[in-house]
Order: sequence, then C-alpha cells, then structure tokens
Amino acid sequence: MAAVDIEHGGHGGHDDAHGDPTAPYYKAKTGWKSWAYTLDHKRIAWLYLTAVALAFLAGGIFALLLRLELFSRGKTIVDAETYNRFFTLHGAIMVFLFIIPSVPGSFGNFFLPIMIGAKDVAFPRLNMLSFYVYVLGAIFALTSIVVGAVDTGWTFYTPYSVQTSTAVISMTFGVFVLGFSSILTGLNFLVTIHTMRAPGMTWGRLPLFVWGMYATAIMQVLATPVLAITLLLLIFERFFGAGIFDPKLGGDPVLFQHFFWFYSHPAVYIMIVPGMAIVSELISTFTRRQIFGKFAIAMSSVGLAILGFLVWGHHMFTAGMSEFSTMLFAALTMLVAIPSGVKVLNWTATMYKGEIRLVTPMLYSMGFIFLFSIGGLTGLFCGTLSVDIHIHDTYFVVAHFHYVMMGGTVMGFLGGLFYWWPKMTGKLYEEGLAKVSFALVFVGFNVTFLSQFIMGSRGMPRRYYDYLPQFEPLHKASTIGSWILASGLFLTAYILLKALISGKKAPPNPWGSAALEWQTATPVPLSNFAETPIVTRDPYDYHLASPEELYDGFPEDREKAAAKPKKAEEKAEKKAEKHEDKDDDE
Amino acid sequence: MSLEPTFQLPEQMSTSAANIDDLYYFIYWLSVVLFVGIIGAMIWFAWTYRARAGHKASPTPHNMVLEVAWTLAPLPILALLFHWGFQGYMDLSVAPANAEEIRVRAFQWGWDFEYKNGESDSSLHIPVGRPIKLVMSSNDVLHAFFVPGLRTKRDLVPGMYSSVWFQATKEGETDLFCAEYCGGKSKDQNGNELDPSQFKGHWAMLSKVHIESNDKYEAYLEGLGGNKPPEERGKALYEKKQCIGCHTVDGNKGVAPTWKGLWGRDETMADGTKVKVDENYIRESILEPNAKIVQGYASPSVMPTYKGTLKDKDIDAIIAYMKTLKE
Repeated sequence: MAAVDIEHGGHGGHDDAHGDPTAPYYKAKTGWKSWAYTLDHKRIAWLYLTAVALAFLAGGIFALLLRLELFSRGKTIVDAETYNRFFTLHGAIMVFLFIIPSVPGSFGNFFLPIMIGAKDVAFPRLNMLSFYVYVLGAIFALTSIVVGAVDTGWTFYTPYSVQTSTAVISMTFGVFVLGFSSILTGLNFLVTIHTMRAPGMTWGRLPLFVWGMYATAIMQVLATPVLAITLLLLIFERFFGAGIFDPKLGGDPVLFQHFFWFYSHPAVYIMIVPGMAIVSELISTFTRRQIFGKFAIAMSSVGLAILGFLVWGHHMFTAGMSEFSTMLFAALTMLVAIPSGVKVLNWTATMYKGEIRLVTPMLYSMGFIFLFSIGGLTGLFCGTLSVDIHIHDTYFVVAHFHYVMMGGTVMGFLGGLFYWWPKMTGKLYEEGLAKVSFALVFVGFNVTFLSQFIMGSRGMPRRYYDYLPQFEPLHKASTIGSWILASGLFLTAYILLKALISGKKAPPNPWGSAALEWQTATPVPLSNFAETPIVTRDPYDYHLASPEELYDGFPEDREKAAAKPKKAEEKAEKKAEKHEDKDDDE
Repeated sequence: MSLEPTFQLPEQMSTSAANIDDLYYFIYWLSVVLFVGIIGAMIWFAWTYRARAGHKASPTPHNMVLEVAWTLAPLPILALLFHWGFQGYMDLSVAPANAEEIRVRAFQWGWDFEYKNGESDSSLHIPVGRPIKLVMSSNDVLHAFFVPGLRTKRDLVPGMYSSVWFQATKEGETDLFCAEYCGGKSKDQNGNELDPSQFKGHWAMLSKVHIESNDKYEAYLEGLGGNKPPEERGKALYEKKQCIGCHTVDGNKGVAPTWKGLWGRDETMADGTKVKVDENYIRESILEPNAKIVQGYASPSVMPTYKGTLKDKDIDAIIAYMKTLKE
C-alpha cells in the first residue's frame, strides 16, 4: 500500500523542534522538556493516555468505595454525605475526565494521522494546548474534592445544585474548561481528516476508526458549547442569583435539564462511537478481511452523531414535559436502534468465513459485541414509554448505561490498548496472562451489572445510600462482581506495564494487519513514515495486500520466511523469541 | 399474567400494571431471541472460522439486499414498541374525570399527603378500585414519586404542579420511594457525624402506600386529625410532618433546638439578640425558618419552610403541644 514515494523524507515545519524525523518518536529528543513541550501527536497521545488512565483509576476507586458501602445495609464504611460525594465524583471523573477524552485523546491522537498517512495533526500547537487545557480543567475539577467535593450527582440538577453547600462551582468550572479541550481536539481532527490525507486516501478508503473520530469530532464541536453555556449559567445562578433555573427566583429547573441533556446526550455518542470505531479495526484485522458493509458502518457513526442531537428529551420522560414532546422524543429514540443494530450485525457478518484469531484484542471486540448488545437491547426497555416510567431512575438504567459505556467504550478501549500496544511501545505483551485478565474483566463486569438490572426492574431507585432488605442479596452480588472486575483491570495494568518495561521486542506488524498504521516501522519514526505513503487500496483489502504488507515477523527475517512459507503463519511471539537479544539494545 | 411478583418485576397492584408488564416481557423475550441469535452466530463463527492451517479468509462480498434488509427490518418492530409504549403512557397520564384528588407535597426529606377533608399524613392511604389522582408539588428541590407496585413514577418540581393517577386493584401495602436525587445529611451543624439512625436524605424518603377497602379508607379519613384536642393534634403533626427528625422532645440536643422547655424561654440568636419564645416567634420560625437562627445552629437553616404545608389551625395545634413540653 505504501510502495511509491513522491515526497521524500519527512521534514515538516515543526520537525526542528523534535530532532531527527527518522528516529523513533520517543528517542528523537530526550529529557522531560521533550515531553512537556512536545508538539508530536504521538507524544501528546501518551500524555493523554497517562492522564486518562489516572482518571480511570481515580473514578474506579470511587466506584469500588461506593460498591463497598452498598455491600450491606445501613452504614458500612462511610456516612451518607460522603457516599453522595463518592457517587458524584465517580460519575463526574469517569464521564468528563476519562471516557470523553479517552479514545480521541490517546488512540485518536496517536493513530489518526498515521492512518491517513499524515505526519501530524493539522494544528500541533493546538493539540498541545488541548492537553494543557485538559490538565487545567482536571485541576479545577479535582480541587473541588479538596474543598468539600460535590454531592449533586454528575448531572448537577437544579435547584439542588444551586442550594447545596458543596463545591459545585469549582467542579462545574473544571468541566467547563475540559469542554474547550474537547472542542480543540475535535476541530483539529476535522481539519486533519479533511486536508491531510495522503495521496490515494479517498473518503471511501478512510479507515473506520477515522470515520468514528470524524463523527465524534462533529459532536464535540457542535454540542460542547451548549454544556459550556449551561454550566456558566449555573455558576451565575450560584454567584449572583440570576434566577434562570431556581424557581424561588422565577426560574425553571426543567430548563436546566433540557440544556444539560442537549449536550450530554450527544456526549453519550461522543463516548460510544470511538469504542465502536476501535472494534471495527480489531474485527477486520483478526478476521483478516474487509469489514462487511464498511460504508454502512461509517455512515451509521455519522447517523448516530446526527440522531444524538434529537433525542435528549428521553432523559426527562418523568420530568414533566408535555405529552407531545414526550411522544416525539420517544419516537426519535427508537430510531437509535437502527444504526446500532447495523453495526452489530455487520461486525458479526464480517466474522462469517473469516480467519479468526482469538487473541486478547479480538476477545475484547467479541466482549464488546456481547455487552453492547445487552446495553442496546435494554435500551429498548428504556425507550419504550410506559416501561420507562417504571424503570426510570432505577438501577435498571444504571445497569443499562454501564453496559453501553463500560461494556462498550471501555471494552473497546482495552481491546485497543492490547491491539496497538506493540506499535505504540515497540513491545509485546504476554498473551496468556492477557486472556486471564480479559476473562476476569468480562465475568466481573457481568456479575456487577446483571444483578443491577434485576434490582432496578424490581424497583430499587438509584443514588441510594441505604436500601430495603429485599435488595440486599443482589447488592452483595454486585459488589463482589466489582472486585472481580477490579482484579481484571489491575492485572491488565500489570501486563501492559510489564510489557512496556521488559516485554519482548515487537515486529512492525505482529498481527499481520493490512491497515496502514501497521505498514510503518516499529517504533514509529518521528515523521510517521519514511516516505509519504501512496494509498492504492482500502486498509482492509486483505486480498489486495502484498505478502510483505501482511508479514507478521521482523523484516530481516522475511527472506528466511519466504523460503519456508508455513513458518510465516506462526504467531508473532514465536518469532520474537528469537530476537530476545535485541531487547538489550533498547 | 399473574399478579404475583415475578423474578424481574414486583407485584401488580394497579390497573395499568398488567399492560406495562406484558410489554416488558414482550421486549424481554424479543431481546432474548435477538441476543441469542447474534451472540450464538458470533460464537459459532469464531469457532468454525478460527485461524488454523489450511483455512483462509475469503474476501468479503457485498450484499446490498441483506444490508438493506437488516437496516429496515427493525422498523416495524420499533414502531410497534413505540405505539404500545405510548398507549400505556397516555393511559398513565390522563386521569378519569371522576378521580379523587389527593394533594402531595414533597420536601427534604419526607412526604405530605393531604386528603379531601383537609387533613394530612406522611404515608399514602388509598381506596381499592377507585381512580385516584395525585396533584403534586415540591417545597424545595426535585423529588420523584415512585411506587413500583403501581408501576408509576413522576417528578415533583418546585414551582410547578405535576400529577399521576392510578386505580389500585388489590388491598395491601406497598413501598413508596423518592426516585430523583435530593441530597442528604449525616452531619450536624458543627460537622460532627450523627448517629447512622439520624441520617436523612434521598434514600430515606421511604413511605408506604396503604391500599384499603372503601370502608376502611373512609374510617381512616375520619380518624385523621378530626376532633382531637389541639395538643394531641399537635403531637401527631410533630411526628407526621417530620419535625421529629430534627427537634427532640426529651431535652437532647439534635440538629435543631429541643422542644422540651422551649416555650417561654429566652433564646439567644446568632446575632446575640435575645428573643422570648412566644406564639409569634414559633409561627415565624415555622413559616420562615431563616428569619431568626438560634445561636449554635446552622445558618442558613436546614429546615424547610412549612408555608403552604401547615395551616393556621395546625400551627396552633403545634404551639399547644409545645406548651405541654415543660422542663
């Protein structure tokens, strides 16, 4: 795919600041400043990945603490006010500091330019700014913990959020700032995708990960300003008593919900579409064939982005909207099933007559399909009006959105980590242990949240510090599930860090993928490609890819492998074993 | 469908419940079929087409018919779900003209149900087999009226009225929850943790719906308040209106001043002034809790206003009760 050169070398405008364009990106320059001031999209991706991983850890610790509190009735570990802060911080950190920036910030930054054959994003300085804006927002948000935390729930519903004595302003201002980071990343990606595709990278050949990032960026740019306005109004309300949302001053608390969900529903798709985008990449690579209905999958991401703007009212079916609005939102909500279904069915169809390698990233994509199907189908209950009235604001809804957000996006994110780790770090992880970690995550997740569906449909409301005796066994099961899930996640962190520190050296294309990001060297050179690639086929066209492009070993072994074709099919790890000595050079 | 609780759903106690449960189980079985189909195919493909010697992926074909088919096939099912769900929703929304109204006021953290005779209680009593319409409002923040057994839920929004209606189908007792987060309190004004039994909040807005025969219901209304002497009425209001949550009557210091010996005492306010506890002071404190704050207690006060909740007659009764609580 990347055979011909027209522009030689990789001397972009900012290369001088980074050093030799052909050197591995993390060696081109050294010292802490080379990271702190970096304009390289790959290093910025690492900064983001580190930051979102820490946010995930923090949000996860709050999740474990609140599950532990709910293990038994009455007071278990903390008092009620602390519990209210825990679930608020869990939600706010997971949504605003982890999920929304997770995939675009890390894999989006690292691979989007490589996948379209570009040297960097369109605006590298803006890219760095977006990361530092994220850090600034995170500091504001986390400061709130020190100055009394927030007990409003991550939704900041008025009038409670106007009346509570906790640090609402610090948290909402942090989220306001984080929004700018999100907008900057989105803008950068849109311009990059439009203007920086390598010759031959037509819209039709655009990888599905890039399509997903494109749809996400549209939503980030269009929806986030509404959140910014809403949060500013809330801050005004608290500071000056503006009277927009507080009924005591003539305001309307339901207006806040409209404003909030006008952003936060598209935000749900800002969270899930990137997860779907990763899964499309993984399924193509591990079935070794083109994605079935690739165009339909690309368009379904765009379809979700558009529909996402039209269904915010389904968060408010019990809030007191008119019957007419309720009817409209319910009808539009049903349509969300179409693009979601198209994706799941097309992925499954891609596996038919494929050549399926059941390695950890593929297990995560299958885990995604399994869990997202449950998340999607339970969405039918929530979208059907009369049933929703019963399950609204219960644990059923909690389980539903965790199946979508965690069962979907986080599974995609973990799959992406295992998939791209060899390209990002140049190291291989330990496959056997990784499968164990997947099993723990998958089983733990289901134990935690399946029990919550049943609690919810039996009438257990959400955000409860204490509960009636009939719910105790299911709460216990859910808490035990959270421990299994956590052990799987800690094991994942161990496996990946161990690979980073002492893993075997990875060949450039350990999975034998036909996609463009695997065609460049590992570790990735600063300029991404030695020569600007000329794209002559779709990234998933395995039958058009040459044997060298699909070769999963070290380039220097190719001749040997060509002599014995069967060996070429063996797993990459075995090849890597022979090259253990090369690690010593690192 | 039986009225008894199933594994997934609680007992059916209203006329709307059967339809909602039928729809719930329709979606459930539809989901089970789709899920088993998709995941079964996925697992089957993963095994049948697993990578192994001698097996190669065949190039992905285009199949427009199949793609269009499964893009459009869900539409009729979705239309059916929407229609069925919307019908059920309208049934929950539009009360029959002859429904008996009960006023509901929610506050942090409790319920106040006021019946047609003007008397009120903290739990809901309804007659079986008669349509009941609740006209609801909130004194402070958002709350939601949720009774799983009746399959109904509706937010109570400060500054506006909302309503639900239902017709109970069997006598009995069922749980009533608040389903919209409304905060919580587990520390006193000095930041010291209270005893867990004193914690108040969203999860503790638990109450009961008592579904009774017509005769029993009318007798209940008769017995509410009625012609009791004012101090007894006051004692009942003290318990029903949640005064008991913060004010003790045994002299112990709670979240708020004890009522024991309160009457006639000179209280020192936060600004140092002294106020004699008399009828006007009590009345003002009930209607405008923030007008005067006793020294040593949280400012602004955590007490909700009872303006609109307690009538003059009720305030008189509470004063009469306080007078009995001598040191």
